[in-house]
Amino acid sequence: MTTFPALLGQRVRRDGVQLLLWTAGTALLAYLTKVSVAQAYGTEEARASILAVVMANPVILLFRGLPSGAGEGAFMLFLIFPFLALLAALMSSFLAVRHTRGDEETGRAELVAATRAGRRAPLGATLTHGILANVVLAALSAVALTAAGLGVRGSVVSGLGAGAVGLTFLGVGLVSAQLMRTSSGANSLAVWVLMVSFLTAGVGNALGTPSNDLQRIESSWLTWLSPFGWGEQTRPFAEDNLWPILWCAALGMVLAGVAVALHSVRDLGGSFVPERRGRRSAPATLSTPLGLVAHQTRASILGWGVGGLVTGILATTLAAVIRDIGTDNPAVEQVIRSIAGGADVEQGTVVVFFTMLGILAACCAVQTVCRARQEETRGTAELVLSTPVDRVRWLASFLVIAFVGILVVIGAALAGAAAGLASRDGDWALLGDVAITGAGQIAAASVFLVVTAVIFVVAPRLTIPLGWALVLVSMMLGLFGPLFGFPDWVVQLSPMGVTPTVTGDGVDVEGLWWLVAAVAAGGVLALGLMRRRDLAPAG
Amino acid sequence: MLPCMASVLSARDLAKYYGRVHALDGLDLDVGEGRIHGFLGPNGAGKSTTIRVLLGLARATSGTVEVFGADPWREAASLHRRIASVPGDVSVWPNLSGGETIDFLSRLRGVRRHERGYRLERERLMAAFLFDPRKKGRAYSKGNRQKLALIAAFAVPAELYILDEPTSGLDPLMAMVFQHEITRVREGGATVLLSSHVLSEVEQLCDVVSIVRAGKVVESGTLADLRHLTRTEVSFAAADASPLESIPDTHDVRLEHGRARFTVDSDHVSSVLPALTALQVEGLRIEPPSLEELFLRHYGDDIAPTGQDGTVRERHRTAAR
Repeated sequence: MTTFPALLGQRVRRDGVQLLLWTAGTALLAYLTKVSVAQAYGTEEARASILAVVMANPVILLFRGLPSGAGEGAFMLFLIFPFLALLAALMSSFLAVRHTRGDEETGRAELVAATRAGRRAPLGATLTHGILANVVLAALSAVALTAAGLGVRGSVVSGLGAGAVGLTFLGVGLVSAQLMRTSSGANSLAVWVLMVSFLTAGVGNALGTPSNDLQRIESSWLTWLSPFGWGEQTRPFAEDNLWPILWCAALGMVLAGVAVALHSVRDLGGSFVPERRGRRSAPATLSTPLGLVAHQTRASILGWGVGGLVTGILATTLAAVIRDIGTDNPAVEQVIRSIAGGADVEQGTVVVFFTMLGILAACCAVQTVCRARQEETRGTAELVLSTPVDRVRWLASFLVIAFVGILVVIGAALAGAAAGLASRDGDWALLGDVAITGAGQIAAASVFLVVTAVIFVVAPRLTIPLGWALVLVSMMLGLFGPLFGFPDWVVQLSPMGVTPTVTGDGVDVEGLWWLVAAVAAGGVLALGLMRRRDLAPAG
Repeated sequence: MLPCMASVLSARDLAKYYGRVHALDGLDLDVGEGRIHGFLGPNGAGKSTTIRVLLGLARATSGTVEVFGADPWREAASLHRRIASVPGDVSVWPNLSGGETIDFLSRLRGVRRHERGYRLERERLMAAFLFDPRKKGRAYSKGNRQKLALIAAFAVPAELYILDEPTSGLDPLMAMVFQHEITRVREGGATVLLSSHVLSEVEQLCDVVSIVRAGKVVESGTLADLRHLTRTEVSFAAADASPLESIPDTHDVRLEHGRARFTVDSDHVSSVLPALTALQVEGLRIEPPSLEELFLRHYGDDIAPTGQDGTVRERHRTAAR
């Protein structure tokens, strides 16, 4: 194993900056949440009353953690733990795929396997590298929480809990890299497993049993099927359980063992999910640049569309649940009304979900536009642009498909919302609100589309990092802005914040015209500048 | 030089800078109609950049360039109706099969889906190149990606073929198939710009050759023209070098392994023949300079152990200021 230190060192060097951002970002999120909780919910009574509302609102439980009491630390971890664990899980599964299937796909693994390192040592080095990354993430998070003024014991448990979920998904990433033929296939398999686990834990908590004082929830059995659920059962600052951490770590190591076993019985570059033979001739749709983009993106657009459908179903079904709870308990209704900004409870719920939907549609659009950059660096753009297709038409086909993607996501959500209403015998008037809110999100998501397109034309190297960073920042503003107590104008920097909303008084469409104007201007700018832009050489 | 003929593409004082790097630095190029024009130079000399400018994929920093009398940067799309090209480094869509990629690129070039002529031509080329069209792009080796690009280029007729190192990664048998296709399109009247560093291939195929160095064309002309600029090597069996003294205009006279060797200016070869006849030499061999020697004449100092890379270094120093 003399090559092991070299392999590990190479991984650490290659990922250094990236892992620093992941781990320090996670720790920073923990620190900021602590600071804002201390400001916004300074007293035990304030926190207890919020918890009481949460018990009545499954929507919140879906995207938050497991309530374990109104103590400052416990309350704060309820708000943020799933997101800390989510960051650790994404970091770990991407890391696993990057250094295994990713290297195999580019041929780097073959170079390494031909040396004394052999076939197996690189996998061991990747596993060690992933464990180290999660140890660093756990340590930094614990230090950040302690520095923010929380107890050491709970801080360590919180950090370990997040790192342990990371370990599980390190294993998930390693196994999916063995199963799938490509790194993009392996990444999407791992992310699907991750999203299902995340939602399973949330739904399990929402279906759980609240304690009599409405301060604590005993999760339903569903939560116990998810590594995220196990992580939450540590209940930091309340019970500080360590055994769920062992479960997570053990599952991670079992999966790593499975990956090693699979790796040892397959050829380098081979996979267990075989690649099908391709078609001999191209289908009729593959005749134009637009057809090519549609062909290349249809799978991912379909995926985002499923996300939209689920969001739509949840929006209206849960809105009805909350209305029922509100009718039973006037006090709860009062609180929810204030959270929803004076709107009707059901409308408020729809608005919350459709902010998420806007993010989803924006992700779909940004991913599609980023493909233009990927085609450019890969060199396939050159093939197309060497035929009678000009640069503007080539870029326009990406923009058109990205916009179609937005329409698919929002359309699927509207269909889901209608299905949700139908299944609950809900109030069909709500569908009108849903449609208006959804239409507003089309404009908001389109802003991300054109901004990414302008970046692609003006500063191509930044397309992918900056395009995604903008979506991430908007998501943070949308999801956490109100929690961190950011001023309104900051929240409204996010296009999702200025979309038309339905309030008790009717529809506020002022923001919509700004968005439409911004989209039109950005689209014209991107296509106009593309006329003058060189195609960057591949590589 | 060549007899006067219509120029299909021409570049004058073409420059392309990428930041401080001067990829092209005053390049002149003329490709006559119906010619196969070899474009020679090692990696980094500026061949691919020239081709990118000719295809309108990159805009020249300065200078003028015309393809079929039009500016390729402004009229790229309409010019491409008349051009087939193979890029230097062929990449393909990882999830499209070879057959799909060939069909897609051909349709972009105007082929309709069930066009019979195209389908026959496609099948013929696939058979000739022993190409499996049903593999996914990511599964093709470099040689197979190269075949794919060649089939896509040759499957639809064009007036101008711009090929950037088209045989790199091909085995010798497939290189023969390629040469056959080039001969075929030339007989059809097409013009070919063939960038390469396989000198034997250029020597065999090309009517005209341009040698690029550090972003400039340093030599251009027919092979016969270029040969006049260099010396022909003459050798015959001899025990000692004394007979050589009677021969006029010789250079580099030496005796090696029982053979007398010298060089003579290529346009003076006939003037040494009477002397050789008078000596009644045996085992006479007269070797015109190979393209390789022509090439090394321009690049020899780069390869020399002292590495007197004057031009390139100076360029970079100038750019750095």
